Amino acid sequence: MGASLTSPRAVHETLHKAVSFNAAHLLGEDLYKLLNEYLAQHLTGLVEESKSHTEEALLAFYIREWNRYTNAAKYIHHIFGYLNRHWVKREMDEGKKSVYDVYTLHLVKWRDVLFHQVVHKVMDSVLKLVEKHRNGETIEYNQIKLVVDSFISLGLDENDSHKPTLNVYRFHFEKPFLEATKVFYTNESKQFLAENSVVEFMKKAEARLEEEENRVQLYLIGDIIIQLKKACNQVLIEDHSNLLRDEFQVLLDNDREEDMARMYSLLSRIAGGLDPLRAKFENHVRKAGLAAVAKVASDADKLEPKVYVDALLEIHTQYQGLVKRAFNDEAEFTRSLDNACREFVNRNEVCKSGSNKSPELLAKYTDILLRKSSTGVEDGALEETLAQIMTVFKYIEDKDVFQKFYSRMLARRLVHSNSSSDDAETSMISKLKEACGFEYTSKLQRMFQDMQISKDLNTGFKGHVQASIEGKNLDSTYSVLGTGFWPLTAPGTNFNPPEEIAQDCERFTRFYKHKHDGRKLTWLWQLCKGDIKANYVRNAKMPYTFSVSVYQMAILLLFNEKLQNTYEEIAQTTQLNSESLDPALLVCLKAKVLTCDSGAKVGPGNTYSLNLDFKNKKYRVNLNVGMKSETKQEEAETNKTIEEDRKLLLQSAIVRIMKARKKMKHQQLVSETINQIRSRFVPKVADIKKCIEILLDKEYLERLEDDELGYLA
Amino acid sequence: MADSSSTTKIVLESNEGARIDVERIVAERSVLIKNLIDDLGEEAVLAEPIPIPNVNTAVLRKVIDWCKYHKNDAAQSADDDNDNRKKTTDIDEWDQKFMQVDQEMLFEIILAANYLDIKQLLDVGCKTVANMIKGKSPEEIRKTFNITNDFTPEEEEQIRRENEWAEDR
Repeated sequence: MGASLTSPRAVHETLHKAVSFNAAHLLGEDLYKLLNEYLAQHLTGLVEESKSHTEEALLAFYIREWNRYTNAAKYIHHIFGYLNRHWVKREMDEGKKSVYDVYTLHLVKWRDVLFHQVVHKVMDSVLKLVEKHRNGETIEYNQIKLVVDSFISLGLDENDSHKPTLNVYRFHFEKPFLEATKVFYTNESKQFLAENSVVEFMKKAEARLEEEENRVQLYLIGDIIIQLKKACNQVLIEDHSNLLRDEFQVLLDNDREEDMARMYSLLSRIAGGLDPLRAKFENHVRKAGLAAVAKVASDADKLEPKVYVDALLEIHTQYQGLVKRAFNDEAEFTRSLDNACREFVNRNEVCKSGSNKSPELLAKYTDILLRKSSTGVEDGALEETLAQIMTVFKYIEDKDVFQKFYSRMLARRLVHSNSSSDDAETSMISKLKEACGFEYTSKLQRMFQDMQISKDLNTGFKGHVQASIEGKNLDSTYSVLGTGFWPLTAPGTNFNPPEEIAQDCERFTRFYKHKHDGRKLTWLWQLCKGDIKANYVRNAKMPYTFSVSVYQMAILLLFNEKLQNTYEEIAQTTQLNSESLDPALLVCLKAKVLTCDSGAKVGPGNTYSLNLDFKNKKYRVNLNVGMKSETKQEEAETNKTIEEDRKLLLQSAIVRIMKARKKMKHQQLVSETINQIRSRFVPKVADIKKCIEILLDKEYLERLEDDELGYLA
Repeated sequence: MADSSSTTKIVLESNEGARIDVERIVAERSVLIKNLIDDLGEEAVLAEPIPIPNVNTAVLRKVIDWCKYHKNDAAQSADDDNDNRKKTTDIDEWDQKFMQVDQEMLFEIILAANYLDIKQLLDVGCKTVANMIKGKSPEEIRKTFNITNDFTPEEEEQIRRENEWAEDR
């Protein structure tokens, strides 16, 4: 084997002959041993030679020799094919660990003889090169790639030499590489932060992270990427996470969306990195919401519903946008946003007097939107605004309060038929249904149905009247509203309807009872209205038409008999009590339809006369204007009924639960009740306890031992 | 490998110095030669004959005949049909005829196949020998292969007892 190595052909021929000859006549073991020794000798020589090289020259040397060596190994492996197929195979089959096929033997020898001697120096050079690269210099990165490849090739599985493992690579390359990376970036970031702002640092860190990812593709193997990312995240983000988080508040205050997005993407790389951010965000949104409300809430009583709702919406829209753009629309951030919104929608400056204020204002705003000719919102815009209302609605805890106000206002819209459009109403109801379930809107839907049924009923009645005509008719419409579905109560006063309409009402009652036997009709006079024509006015080119409530109608019709009536006479004939009579009369006086002998005063002892010189710019005069005090009173009433209804709702929930469970601990029952009722409002524990007491008294429940409650059927 | 190069003629040289031209694809049935060509490159191989120092002319020609006939066989993969290959002693017709040679030639072929690393030929040879042994008594086998019995009668009896379980009854 001492042949000159000038031509590969010559080497091959020589070796081939020698090996083939030897294989036939020598023992395989001797041949293997000799090869082994030769390799050791060659490699020891290389180790010596390597000592004269440093840095990049060393890398070049290592790579050159590695390529030469592995190339030769391939040839030698083939030349020793016979040895491989027979002696080596037999030895391996017998389980000898230290015998490898010829190619693997080369790798093993390289690893054992050369590698361990030079690896530290090689790695030092590699890391220096990488550092240069990180500092922006151009480097011969192919060298590093080749070194990595060589390290990987040397990873031999002790049990199965054909199965490559990464252990050599991991220990000798990955570990020092990651350590060097950490040191580099720890130093760099420390220095950078000392000289620059946090925002600048985030930009730097982002760029560095991207750079490292590119580096992996350039000259490392993909396997390292997770580890490398972890290392970089550790030193570039996690070590500075507190600093970053502190900066977050500043960014929020200044609305630096882009920088927040950057911070989000950085902190999302480390475990638990975003939690403090979310908390800060939630807190900030809540504060912003409260501040926005406080700004418009200077006078809570005169607060315009629209202004209030818009203030809420503005904050929500602003931060929802932020979540979308800067925080990747992430669910957790959305939840923080929701929490914050719920907080400032339900507990703010305006709600100080009572938590019912938010749903009340929201319902009022909805009413304004849905009422006819309010501001003339276009259909598309209306639908959008309704959707926005639902956004706020979602956050309202006392949904039952909203329901109360909403149904009251819906009733008013329907009865006075001044709803802007049926479509908008239906759409709103279906939105509510979607949000709160069938039960929540069942009454509202019933109200709609009643109106529909009434329409048919009126058509039937008109036909009936025309068929059996007797005298002149009233052009009348009736609405039959189911008790219980409508938030309406019978009038608080007696009323003797004027003859003119009493007849028609009588007729309708008969017609209705004929159709539906056994039903009781109660007249809600306070909601009735009509038009009357005033033919008496002097100097009028056309007769005026007064839109009046039925009470006013009764009063005015009295003046058909005589031109003057005393207060007592009016009260006597109409049977109205003063609470209903006075406001009705007052409007007529204010509009100068009637005059009073002693100024515009309402009360006993006054005499009223018809103003025959009545003048108005319009021919149609609306006298049916609700008094301010009336709505105020209604509000108070609504608020009062809410408490009552809540108690009932709680009781029914408790009974439902107990009916299903039969037995339950007190504490458990309370928490279960809270769970069930939460979609409507947030119940107080004390209230639940009170309701349980009531149910115990009513003997729906019984006390058992050990703080348990039982259900009595 | 491209077709044009697979028909290139290369020269093999037996241990008696006889040179035989073969198509490259034929020669590459031998893994030994194939590796050699791959390592050295075609030009180097064309320049000079490839010495096959362990095989004489007659045997080399015989082996080349086999390779010519089987030149388009799918290269046998090392492991997958190993079991099948080992279990059956079936030999296809052409190979049977090919193996109708005197015993000395048969063993030379087997040795050459082993040396040149032609697995399928090695298999065919070994199967042929196996078939020669199959169904024969020890005495008949000795006769077939011209083996002198160097067991004492006692030893013979002991071996027979140990292997009694395998006897065909």
